[in-house]
Amino acid sequence: MITLNGIVKRYGSQEVLRGVTMSVARGEVCVLLGPSGGGKSTLLRTINGLETFDEGSIDVSGTQLIGGDIVSREAALLKIRRKVGMVFQQFNLFPHRTVLENVIEAPMQVLKQSREQAVGKAKELLARVGMLEKSNARPTSLSGGQQQRVAIARTLAMQPEAILFDEPTSALDPNTTAEVISVMQDLAKGGQGMIVVTHGMKFARSVAHTVHILHSGAIIESGPPEQVFDNPRQEITRGFLMEAN
Amino acid sequence: MRQFLSLLLGLSIGIILDVSAFGQDDSLRAIQSKGALVWGADQEGGGPFVFPDENDPNKLVGFEVELAELIASHIGVPAQFAQGQWDKLPDLLDRGDIDIVLNGFEWNSGRAERYGTSIPYYIYELQLLARKDDESIQSWDDLITQPAGQPRKMSLLGGAAAEDFTAAFAAEHNTTIELALFDGVTDAMRAAELGTDRIDGNVQDLPIWNFYRKDFPNLKPVGPPVGRGFYVALLRKSDRQLLDSVNEAINAGLRDGRLRTIFERYGMWNEVQALRALETSADGGFRGLVKAEESNGTRTAESGSETNATNTPELSSSQSLHGLKVITQRGWFLVKAAMMTVLLSITAMPLAVLIGLLMALMKLYGKWFVSIPATCYVELVRGTPLILQLYVIYFLVPEVLKYLFPGTHFSISAFWSAVAGLAINYSAYEAEIYRAGLQSIPKGQMEAALSLGMTRNLALRRIIIPQATRIVIPPVTNDFIALFKDTAVCSVITVVELSKEYYIQARNTGAIVELGLLSAFLYLAMSYPLSLLAGRLERRLGKESR
Repeated sequence: MITLNGIVKRYGSQEVLRGVTMSVARGEVCVLLGPSGGGKSTLLRTINGLETFDEGSIDVSGTQLIGGDIVSREAALLKIRRKVGMVFQQFNLFPHRTVLENVIEAPMQVLKQSREQAVGKAKELLARVGMLEKSNARPTSLSGGQQQRVAIARTLAMQPEAILFDEPTSALDPNTTAEVISVMQDLAKGGQGMIVVTHGMKFARSVAHTVHILHSGAIIESGPPEQVFDNPRQEITRGFLMEAN
Repeated sequence: MRQFLSLLLGLSIGIILDVSAFGQDDSLRAIQSKGALVWGADQEGGGPFVFPDENDPNKLVGFEVELAELIASHIGVPAQFAQGQWDKLPDLLDRGDIDIVLNGFEWNSGRAERYGTSIPYYIYELQLLARKDDESIQSWDDLITQPAGQPRKMSLLGGAAAEDFTAAFAAEHNTTIELALFDGVTDAMRAAELGTDRIDGNVQDLPIWNFYRKDFPNLKPVGPPVGRGFYVALLRKSDRQLLDSVNEAINAGLRDGRLRTIFERYGMWNEVQALRALETSADGGFRGLVKAEESNGTRTAESGSETNATNTPELSSSQSLHGLKVITQRGWFLVKAAMMTVLLSITAMPLAVLIGLLMALMKLYGKWFVSIPATCYVELVRGTPLILQLYVIYFLVPEVLKYLFPGTHFSISAFWSAVAGLAINYSAYEAEIYRAGLQSIPKGQMEAALSLGMTRNLALRRIIIPQATRIVIPPVTNDFIALFKDTAVCSVITVVELSKEYYIQARNTGAIVELGLLSAFLYLAMSYPLSLLAGRLERRLGKESR
């Protein structure tokens, strides 16, 4: 469903992505692991166009982004972003809207759903992430974990084929991390495709189909979690796993 | 230290006593001891009275400059010029900033009652002016007709005899003539020439018209001069000795021909001057030699020929009014003018915010060919004063449009010029406020909106601008209060709002303090609720988003 082909991104003379090639199938749960500064978040953000890239190409269900091309980019991005949602480290809920309004905003404005339709779907999704009773609360009155669960519901409301999770639990304390992880595990088991940048090995081990280890802007090792975690082929992977545990 | 203090105390008491001694005594001695006769006039559009020399702009010339020198030399001191806005010169006299006003002030009973008035130094007449291409005005009587179904509109120098004469003419013929009052004579003539704000013509002192006529090639004099009257010097009422000296000086100048030489130099001499009154009567008026000349078609607005004339509107309203009486009698005028202040503010501010937001968006999110013009606009508007922008809109824009679309007659009313000026002026500040507000919204908000499939415009409209608006409400409200007070500047393009009306009424009644307090109260009564509202909005929105 998502194919990355030789993605190169430079900041001046420094290459932060050095020819990344990977693909993610429909319904696949894919986890990006690796030391900080390895380019995980940057790679994730190139997929839905929050970052540009200089070489290579990205294909999302037939819609293409070409490195360095800024002319046809806007139209392609609108298509891609309808298929690929994103959940941020800092939640980025809209503070001037209630929880429910946050969830129905895009379905009504972008998908032109009626209010009843959008609200019905939103309530179902908020119930699924355990936030229904906070429907009328302001985001700023919620804990970090609650905000992140609302953010997940907001993304789900657009019915994306895949969701990009950019370190979704890094801003959370351990208790609330568990709430969010459990929501994500439920989604994964329900067949929701996702690409997750995380430091949480447990999550990767329990639900990931594929794990990629990213180091210095390149994927150095890929495979099912049991293979990568139990029999790492690369020295760097071994060192990283030792430190992470 | 104590010695020093007592010395200081003694000195200051000495100064106070000294000043009060001056206050009671005649200024003549004070002038002689300080060694200068300080005379006030307005050099703005001041020809042929007082104006900067073409060859040496640092030097002032004009017949009143020479007259001041003539009077000062009679007293035995040099003359010292003090600049003041024409209609405020009598106030400078009251404040003691100047000793004498010499600036084409017409004798009338109201002035004679409040100030010491000299014998006339010049006999002026009024000239009706209209545009050359306007066939509909061939005589004064054409002002009675209302061809477009609307009253005729004349531009005039506020507070001058032309205003009284025109108002009296309209009253006499049971018609309405709208008056647009200006602070400067050239502004008034320019407005008439351009036809700004439906202005049909101008009534001007003849010497002024003769001096400036070459600058206004599209104006023509209509009919013979009318409304003969007298230029006199104004002094403080208490300065009787000084008044005597001034009268002696003018008399001497008349007799030995020096005044005639001065007037001839400025092309102002005519036979009418020979009719001049030479005597001042005890009550401050004067017994003129001029006959009222209704018989041969010219009118006299107000002359000393009928001693103690009391039938003019100016006189009946210029009895000094004070206390509660002036508030009940004139308060309504101020309240009505306050409505104009409110109307200007609530029309201009939303426009200012809208233009400001647009400019901020163009600056922040536009490509270079959009953001650079927006930046230029903000810097240009922010870097120039409101009064200049008002002038440009009121005078220059109609002229440019006339040039671009010849044959069409275009004019912007004073009200809409004022609204446009205020809106444009404040839009630059609102743009900067909005820019800061938009920039303070975290980047993640835009990223989240884009990630949900919104276009950039939709994200701005639904997510970014609503949040920025909450942030900018307190500073924008502050600016609203500032704009509210800046409406006072609009009086330069003839909009009569609270400050201007205050000045008109205060000048007319002399009740500077009472009407001033009422005006201050009205301003406060309008702006304080705004401050309260701003505070409430700020608290409510603060609760919502934090």
